[in-house]
Amino acid sequence: MAVPKLEQLSKSVVQGPSLATGAVPTKDWMDIPAIFKPGNYAYQAKQEKVAYLNSQPGLSFPNAREWSPEDDDWKLPEGWKDIILKGLKERLDKFRSLKIFMDCCVRCGACADKCHFFLGTGDPKNMPVLRAELLRSVYRNDFTIGGKILGKMAGAREMTVGVLKEWFMYSYQCTECRRCSVFCPYGIDTAEVTMMLRELLHLVGVGINWILEPASNSNRTGNHMGLQPHTFKDNVDFLADDVENLTGIKINTSFNRKGAEVLFITPSADVFAEPGLYTAMGYLLLFEHIGLDYTWSTYASEGGNFGLFTNNELMKKLNGKMYAEAKRLGVKYIIGGECGHMWRVVHQYMDTMNGPADFLEVPKSSVTGTTFNNAASTKMVHISEFTADLIRHGKLKLDKSRNAHVKATFHDSCNPARAMGLMDEPRYILDHVVDNWVEMPENTIREQTFCCGSGTGLNTDEIMELRMRAGLPRANAVKHVIDKHDVNTLSCVCAIDRATLTSLMDYWNPGCKVCGVSELVGNALVMDGENRQELDEGLRTLV
Amino acid sequence: MKLDEAFRNYREKIVDRWVEYTLSTYKSSSFFIKEKDKFANPVGGNTREALDALFGLLAKNADPQEFVAPLEQIMRIRAIQEFAASVAVGPIHAVKHITREILSKDKERCHLVQELYDFEFAVDLAVLAAFDLYMQCRERLYQVRIKEIKTGNYILTDSKCPTNLLKINIQESLKTVENH
Repeated sequence: MAVPKLEQLSKSVVQGPSLATGAVPTKDWMDIPAIFKPGNYAYQAKQEKVAYLNSQPGLSFPNAREWSPEDDDWKLPEGWKDIILKGLKERLDKFRSLKIFMDCCVRCGACADKCHFFLGTGDPKNMPVLRAELLRSVYRNDFTIGGKILGKMAGAREMTVGVLKEWFMYSYQCTECRRCSVFCPYGIDTAEVTMMLRELLHLVGVGINWILEPASNSNRTGNHMGLQPHTFKDNVDFLADDVENLTGIKINTSFNRKGAEVLFITPSADVFAEPGLYTAMGYLLLFEHIGLDYTWSTYASEGGNFGLFTNNELMKKLNGKMYAEAKRLGVKYIIGGECGHMWRVVHQYMDTMNGPADFLEVPKSSVTGTTFNNAASTKMVHISEFTADLIRHGKLKLDKSRNAHVKATFHDSCNPARAMGLMDEPRYILDHVVDNWVEMPENTIREQTFCCGSGTGLNTDEIMELRMRAGLPRANAVKHVIDKHDVNTLSCVCAIDRATLTSLMDYWNPGCKVCGVSELVGNALVMDGENRQELDEGLRTLV
Repeated sequence: MKLDEAFRNYREKIVDRWVEYTLSTYKSSSFFIKEKDKFANPVGGNTREALDALFGLLAKNADPQEFVAPLEQIMRIRAIQEFAASVAVGPIHAVKHITREILSKDKERCHLVQELYDFEFAVDLAVLAAFDLYMQCRERLYQVRIKEIKTGNYILTDSKCPTNLLKINIQESLKTVENH
């Protein structure tokens, strides 16, 4: 009696079958179509943004049009299938890594349960191995003998509109965080498979607005926000005024100054949106503290590179802009702020795209004399490396008690951790600026860190539920340290994290604040000649 | 044989079945059921922890206020997954059927099925509380979305340059003034 009753209980009487997920799939994965409905996809790119990008030299974003993922007809260009297959062939020839990734996967499943999207949704197509199979199946069908002869038996399938829609669905349910690749015995970088899927989709005009609009803004004004030079300068000056009100220290800022020793580049969100603002105030105090000869640029006013989420041509162009500006200003080297994917681009792709940056000098700290040989080719130092080195040489006056209101934990932002190995520097800084900080469980930090769930341009509000699902593994680990150690602050070194973890905490762990490590540094700095107010909440204190 | 003793003896079995049933509402449930590490498997781990705690409370006729913590642990997850509201909440109900079935299969204890009224009433209260919590979570989700829009992160995409916006705002307020 009871068993049939239970089966009834698992189905909704009111809703249609598409909403009631109801247990184990009964069909082969290839036979389950991707269905788009409000809330499960990010909005398509606006026609004018695609047209603008397509009009730019060196870029190709064809088929600008009005369309919607919910429509049956996506208004694909004539011959779209040939365009995709030709695009795939070109990429297989051009990127040896892609060819290897397509061929060498043995489907061992080591990656399957490592993806935060899979862990939050339970959708098998979010297993990295299966997400890659979405492309691999087409590769087999058209580019391998086995697939051509055996077809579906060899896991091959023809490229159809349904397959294309599935690519769109699942390449935008991947944040390219690369946690899966940590566990792959063959070292397959599934993020690069996602990157290829997105590149191929752009060939036929399928992309999302939350990526293409910031990318076109970056191309036009130098930053995601589309801030023009005077606005960017005003925002930084406002922050300098705030610092002066709080600490009595007059901050000297300079913009586009030729001959400065250092060019400082950070995500534009740091100078425009909470809580990144406080991180930017931390940078200002730090540089003032050591009297660094540096300049901001109102042209290279963005660290984040949304080209990484579109195609390699745009990534190269946006990255090139930072170096062109460094060359124009004649600086010796670049310091980069707390950003995520900027560092992946700089550390992993910049050298073959725009490097080596021989017109710059190998970064050498004028305060400590340390040469950053790890940045010998890119000439770009991470703010955490730079700060940790200052602390190590005793160059900063720090008072931990100024962070007494903080009980912190540290979230390893995916790209700095996994793409450049920056794991110990932020921890070293935390050791010196806060009394209280604790680690989250071992399988959720360092190389194994869980993504915020909204990276790679998925930080858009129309997919809030999807973001909350994808961020569950991270939020779950944060909850553990909140329950166990009364943690009240989640620190990180990435601008997208600062924006997205804030929403993630508001849903999963209300009351837990999110901050950049440099904000905590700014809080703790003891400045010469300061006239500091009672700052119960550090730089966030309202006075 | 008393009912509370039966609950003690069968707790693990009932909770296991309950967890398995709840996790079977996910498309790929085997991993969620198998992996016991809460951090490697947040959905499965939290479901197991919450249902075990909830069963303890239901079985001892605890104050329904105490149901909130474990129910929240589980509803917060299910409220943002692709479930219809009834399917999100439904599994809480299942423990009635599972308990009846397990007890009725035990010859020495099958008579206890007649005494399940209080237990089942407690489950009913838990289901109702779960609906409230489901709605609270949905509302919180919308609040998070509104807050994100208000704090200006949306400016990343949905605007032209702020200076330009300023111009538009001024023109709009001029129009309002003119209309008056």
